[in-house]
Amino acid sequence: MTLPAPAPVYYTRRLRAYLVDLWERREFIWFLAMGNFKARNASTAFGLFWWVLNPLLLSFVYYLVFGLIWSSDRDILYLMAGMFVFHFTAQALTGGANAVLGNTKLLANLRFPRIILPIANLLESAMGFVVSLGLLLVLGGAIEGHLPGVEFLLLLVAIPLQFLFNLGLACLTARLAVPFRDVNNFIPYLNRIWLYLSPIIWPLSLLETASMDGLARFATYNPMFSIISVYRTVLLGYEFDPVALSTFAIWAVATGVIGIAVFIKYEGNIVRYL
Amino acid sequence: MNRPAILVENLSVRFRQFVDKKPTLRKALARRQLRETAYVEALNDVSFRVEQGEAFGIVGRNGAGKSTLLRCLAGTLRPNSGKVVVNGKTSTLLQLGVGFNPELSGRRNIYLGGLAAGLRKHEIDALFDEIVQYAELEDAIDRSVKTYSSGMFARLAFSISMHLEPDVLLLDEVLAVGDQAFREKSMNTMKEVLERSGTIVFVSHSLQSVADFCDRAMWLERGSVVAIGEAGEIVEKYKASAESRTQ
Repeated sequence: MTLPAPAPVYYTRRLRAYLVDLWERREFIWFLAMGNFKARNASTAFGLFWWVLNPLLLSFVYYLVFGLIWSSDRDILYLMAGMFVFHFTAQALTGGANAVLGNTKLLANLRFPRIILPIANLLESAMGFVVSLGLLLVLGGAIEGHLPGVEFLLLLVAIPLQFLFNLGLACLTARLAVPFRDVNNFIPYLNRIWLYLSPIIWPLSLLETASMDGLARFATYNPMFSIISVYRTVLLGYEFDPVALSTFAIWAVATGVIGIAVFIKYEGNIVRYL
Repeated sequence: MNRPAILVENLSVRFRQFVDKKPTLRKALARRQLRETAYVEALNDVSFRVEQGEAFGIVGRNGAGKSTLLRCLAGTLRPNSGKVVVNGKTSTLLQLGVGFNPELSGRRNIYLGGLAAGLRKHEIDALFDEIVQYAELEDAIDRSVKTYSSGMFARLAFSISMHLEPDVLLLDEVLAVGDQAFREKSMNTMKEVLERSGTIVFVSHSLQSVADFCDRAMWLERGSVVAIGEAGEIVEKYKASAESRTQ
């Protein structure tokens, strides 16, 4: 009887082998993401409809608070577009660590590229995000009569870029939160601050006020600033800003590469901290 | 002579233990670390080999390091020092229902569990009917797993692991579940694995089943090997020591 060559049972850090392994596990990633997507609301009466209902309710709440009470001229679609895009990234920050820490059984028992867990988690929230984008497109057509033309293709760049950006963030938070769970407690506050620093509940015109000069420049460095503007081109017909797109591309690639590298280097230690 | 199925040399695993002694911030600053740390030697210089087609038992008290050892063999825990080599496809059954999502149907969970364990989807497609049949689930396969009895759950999990056709099977105290009939059935399946020169590492507190089922056994005590030898002998020695302790 011939046996395969002896292999060390735990991961060597060779990137190529790691990526091959990851590719061979693609069906697992998909099933994991789809499983969670379906299971999330499996016991509810509305079931999968919650994936539409959740963003709807969320925007309704924000509309109540910021739209009606402040009675400003900002329209609901501006707010919703920003909210959904932001939410996709905010979910990655909270979900990244939980995807790892919440799957102790898998981690302790089976050997697989650990990055599968944050990727599957992101895929799940990406599905929710796509649903909410669809909702926005429908509402945009209904309320404003705006339908995207060629700009629609921008989504094919924006979504993968944001996915990469999110993956980097999820990996970084997971890396930090595994030995230092306190990180998880900070994230909601971090998200809140980031939300207020992004042009979501305040209008872009705010930046043009003279007294806001310093802040305006600072605000445009925010990666959320550039990516939201790309999405608004598609969803609301705002003018396309190539600088915003390229700025975000740099953010996404840098965050993605650093986050993934840090995570892979660390992942062999995860089981010790469960 | 063939290559051993499992070769472990000078394996040591240390865990950091968080001592819960009210670490005040002032003390922490004085020591320049946030938590007091002490090290626990979970496995200390463990060496053994298991040949192909062999059933190898591991006995020892709670906390002796049995589960830690299995995690090292499964490749999920990186040891502090030492070498672990496992030849062939490994299937682990250290816990039941790994990868399962209890909200989803048994059908869906067969895919989840199988994919988690390393099968491809088309392989599961081919094995699907057999897995269901072996688990004796019939129509329940389309119900969500959270409605299953613990026996049904265990049968489904065990059935998936068995259909992976592993060369090396790692079992941790999981056969205590299920009724008598299923236990006999699973024992038979394990014997079949051995017959096609698969290897089984078997951790159990049921000394009788270790003595009956295993060829050789190892006795662990506080992370160190006390004895390795013919299963019946090791179990006798271990029993004698356990009895002298209770007196």
